[in-house]
Amino acid sequence: MATGLRIHSMTRGAEDPNDEQLVAAVLSGDRERFGDLVDRYQGRLVTYLFRLLRNVDDAHDLAQEVLIKIYQVLDRYDPTFKFSTWLFRVAQNAAIDQIRRRRLKLVSLRQEDGEGDGRDWDLPSPERGPYGEMRNRERGDAIQEAIDALPWEYRELVLLRHFGELPYEEIAQLKGMPLGTVKNKLFRGRQMLKDKLQGFLED
Amino acid sequence: MKRPDHNTYREWLNLEVDGVLPEESRAQLTEHLAACDACRAERDELLVFADLLHKARVPVREDFRAQVLSSLPTAGWESRSPRTWAFPAAVFLLLAGIAAAVMGSRGPQGSLLSALVAVTGMLRASAVAGAGLIAASWKGLGLAFSEVLSSPVSIGVFGVFVLSLNLLLVSLLRRRRSAGLERSSLERSGRRDC
Repeated sequence: MATGLRIHSMTRGAEDPNDEQLVAAVLSGDRERFGDLVDRYQGRLVTYLFRLLRNVDDAHDLAQEVLIKIYQVLDRYDPTFKFSTWLFRVAQNAAIDQIRRRRLKLVSLRQEDGEGDGRDWDLPSPERGPYGEMRNRERGDAIQEAIDALPWEYRELVLLRHFGELPYEEIAQLKGMPLGTVKNKLFRGRQMLKDKLQGFLED
Repeated sequence: MKRPDHNTYREWLNLEVDGVLPEESRAQLTEHLAACDACRAERDELLVFADLLHKARVPVREDFRAQVLSSLPTAGWESRSPRTWAFPAAVFLLLAGIAAAVMGSRGPQGSLLSALVAVTGMLRASAVAGAGLIAASWKGLGLAFSEVLSSPVSIGVFGVFVLSLNLLLVSLLRRRRSAGLERSSLERSGRRDC
């Protein structure tokens, strides 16, 4: 366990320990340090999952599940890879599993009573007032629709880059793609997304 | 040196916004931007676009961290002791100590050498006992097989058991394979309707 990991004189006031150091600290018994990893990734993880699942509650629940899963197998973390690459790989697999389960459930529901897909795109609005809220909702819906319209091969990269905030190299590693392919697909994906959101870019 | 085309500059703009454009390309891009209105407009649009997506982040619930930490189970690795030589070494020393004590109580011939001989003897005896147990297990298995093969009925029952076991294993493997295929086809399909 934790072989190959070293804690470089990390103490409670040390400046910005990296992910690998935090993992090593957790593995050596400092459970609270896992909270630092949660702090570091919760925003990106929940937003990334929200854009895949389109439901705020589901995104929070799944993010929690993913973090717990990561904690349970933390001793298997290979420090030659970035922690964030590992985290988002687990998150993406978990989201795909959930979408598949949801789709199966949806098919059976539609067969029973023909209900809709239960979309939940409502987000707490940073802009106050009725007009601001309407504008936020409109913008949120438009972004989500534009993302949903992207082919999966572009969508997953755009989400990892813009909402997971992963660097190009990590996306390449996570997807097992050459770096040039990642750059190219991101460029094309962005162009498609930008075209669909043109009305919001000109405001 | 051949100058990049307009499309290349657009690709570079994307890399520049992400902060990954190499230094030498950045110099060329800066020079180009000074002279190209369209590319300057494209750069501004990309910045607005990045900001738009940034604003679309989901606020995380305030109690999220606390919830995660309070839900953490005791992981398997927490109760596992690290793999070291400490335990085997301690056992060996304990055995050596017991042997030395036993040999010492027998008289002046008790020495470190005789203690080591005694420990070796104990280990050898343990090895012989283990080997005997294994041999006995094989013998027991042989007896069980000869019993099974002694009558047509027991041969039949045994055959059905082996066949069922094989079918079970094959169905489990197929299910696992189809789950994997389903996942990869889901990834490929683009899940337009998700």
